[in-house]
Amino acid sequence: MTCKEFQEVLPDIIDGGQTVEQESHWKACRECSDLASELTLVSQQAKILRGGDEPSPRVWNSIEIALRAEGLIRQPAAAFTLVPSPAPRWRMGWLVPLTATFLLTLGVVDYYLASKPADQVAVVQPASSTKPVDDDDAQMLEAVSMKTPAMRAAYEANLQDVNAYIRDAEASARNNPADEEAQESLMEAYSQKNMVYEMAFDRSLR
Amino acid sequence: MKTINRRSVKLALIVVVSAGATLVAGETKKEFRFTVRPGSTVSIVNPYGPISLKPAVGNQVLVTVTLHSDKVEVSHEQSGKRVELRSQLLPGADQTSGIAEYAVFIPSTTNVNLHANTGPLRVEKLHGDVIVEAVSALVEVRDINNVHVHIKTMNGPITLSNIHQGHVEVTSISGDVNLNSVSGPLVQVNSSSGKIRYDGDFGAGGDYSLTSHTGDIDAVAPAEAPIDVTAQTVRGKVDSDFDLEAKRIVPRDDNNKSSFLGKAWSLVKLRSFSGKIHLRKR
Repeated sequence: MTCKEFQEVLPDIIDGGQTVEQESHWKACRECSDLASELTLVSQQAKILRGGDEPSPRVWNSIEIALRAEGLIRQPAAAFTLVPSPAPRWRMGWLVPLTATFLLTLGVVDYYLASKPADQVAVVQPASSTKPVDDDDAQMLEAVSMKTPAMRAAYEANLQDVNAYIRDAEASARNNPADEEAQESLMEAYSQKNMVYEMAFDRSLR
Repeated sequence: MKTINRRSVKLALIVVVSAGATLVAGETKKEFRFTVRPGSTVSIVNPYGPISLKPAVGNQVLVTVTLHSDKVEVSHEQSGKRVELRSQLLPGADQTSGIAEYAVFIPSTTNVNLHANTGPLRVEKLHGDVIVEAVSALVEVRDINNVHVHIKTMNGPITLSNIHQGHVEVTSISGDVNLNSVSGPLVQVNSSSGKIRYDGDFGAGGDYSLTSHTGDIDAVAPAEAPIDVTAQTVRGKVDSDFDLEAKRIVPRDDNNKSSFLGKAWSLVKLRSFSGKIHLRKR
């Protein structure tokens, strides 16, 4: 096998294994071996970047909630029209700067919270998160109803469990600001709620 | 004439029964084979239906999928060291018609990543990392050593058995968590309202943390286990056969020559807000 032949099928080799002939060329030819290593590295990094680019479902949900609250988006009306709509990417183009601003604000708030000592963070958690089912939760349950209606009741019950956990953990952290265990419990409670949200918005299970 | 009639009836009966069986079953079986290298990862995303993983000899992954209806399909992809199988729900699919059953045999050193709604999910006798995320699925993992085992469920019960030298991290909101003979450098269970039961020896030199909000925590350990235990509850109750005030549980100095003497201490932390904590000697 020549270097040219090997390099022509190199992407396929990286993606899905190799034949004996290709493998022996890979081992024997230093130039092709280096090229294959570099391409493998690039491929791996690209996969990591692709995964990292996708914000968590919670972020998309928060954006949607904020936009709904501002009245900027609403449920589409099922109206009949003879005039075709413009392509969705142009219609939604104005969302790009708005989303960027929202994400920036989210980042600033996140940085602010992260830079605070843990006991202060416990105090500044938004009160809305401690209601049995708040607006975010309602949105999430709505999404679950659309995706898997049969599982809504389970999600609702589990949300109430984690919200109760958060309430108790917040109270404990407030009463014992120097207690590391109390802070840890609060973080665990929030991480459990985060887990429920991730499962609810998991697109792969639709 | 009579004979012909009988034959016709028999034939018709066979046809009807066969057709009926096919209709009732409505199942399709698909088989996939992948050749993998050591350290490969097999990911399975299956919204509805069981997944069973068992070890196989050689370097092949063998997957048999039984689709319960034409409302669900299977897609697969192999890329480098990754194999991914995914059940695709078609319009109109629900928890019954969307069921796909996976029976998977994989080389024992393969890593596993499972994603499901209903399960049940069973993994046994592997030596690769096991990551499971499931909503309501029952999850059973057994006979695994020296790997990471990370399990998350919302209300699905979790049972781990015979897992040694593992990094075990389990989170469930309301599913009960049972650990039988589980030990390792890190064993961490977090629950909101599910019960946590531990029955084992708390290994040696490990860090064990069992935390629940309202669920009870039951732990059973040998009387001579070298453990340093703390049990905390805000509104619940602690009930312990071990002397918690002494904090460090001292091995008995008897003639039975405890096998635990000389082993490194394990730290055991049991915490619950309003659940009961029971720590019993075996």
